[in-house]
Amino acid sequence: MSEQTGKQLSKEEKDARFEAELLPVLDPLYNFAYRLTLDEDDANDLVQETYLKAYRFFDYFEQGTNAKAWLFRILKNSFINEFRKKSKQPAKVDYSEVEGYYNSEDVEGEGGVASTTDMRTESVQDLIGDEVASALNALPVDFRTVIILCDLEGFTYEEMAKILDIPIGTVRSRLHRARNSLKEKLEKYAKSMGYNS
Amino acid sequence: MESKFTEVYQKGPDDSYDTDCSKVSEMLDLIIDGEATSEEEKYFNTHLEECVSCFESHQKQKLLKGIISGHLKRVIVPESLALSIRAKIQETL
Repeated sequence: MSEQTGKQLSKEEKDARFEAELLPVLDPLYNFAYRLTLDEDDANDLVQETYLKAYRFFDYFEQGTNAKAWLFRILKNSFINEFRKKSKQPAKVDYSEVEGYYNSEDVEGEGGVASTTDMRTESVQDLIGDEVASALNALPVDFRTVIILCDLEGFTYEEMAKILDIPIGTVRSRLHRARNSLKEKLEKYAKSMGYNS
Repeated sequence: MESKFTEVYQKGPDDSYDTDCSKVSEMLDLIIDGEATSEEEKYFNTHLEECVSCFESHQKQKLLKGIISGHLKRVIVPESLALSIRAKIQETL
């Protein structure tokens, strides 16, 4: 089945390709939607809308190209256009505030409480997971997005630039600031667990 | 060791040292994300052999990436979602 640009697909072809190429991305796409909206119902709506749009514009999708990146891009645009306004977002943090926070030294004196905890137990692993999630969720959505795309979904900088419609330089600087902020939050947590770095 | 320090000192207060470290620290993300060129990687690794503080920064950055990818739980897709996507497509198109 060779692909020609602008070729109109029959409904059967379209349905078959939709099942084979786009639906397998459902899991990462839903996870991305959930991490953006932080709400299961919103994630559901966002993913449904993304797939409807993808089906409608399927003729523009070139077979063999990166279906995952294409769907992520549609979802991110839908999120910006419709969901961002109405979803239950945590208050946006000013970038400079995040940076200032990173430099603060008020982490002493909080440690010691849980220092006897055994890091190997499952419940502690869960705790770390929860802590990572809450640190990530507290980031401004633009920062959270690059972390998800890069560290969870393994997109390259170039793919991220295409998904987000920003230059690679911006991808890099967002990633850098997002990681600094996460590091600060998690180091504070590590200290409170009795780990001194 | 001593002569090296003298050399650096003579060049000007910490100039070359700072430049190397700041260059390397800007490369950290490229390195851990596998986006660095082989030249950049070489430069990076050479510097790390002689700079403990950059070596530690690299360890921390790797650890952070590992913690995020390893500890963040994935949410489970509701079973009904694929079905309702298919149904919506059939009814709207």
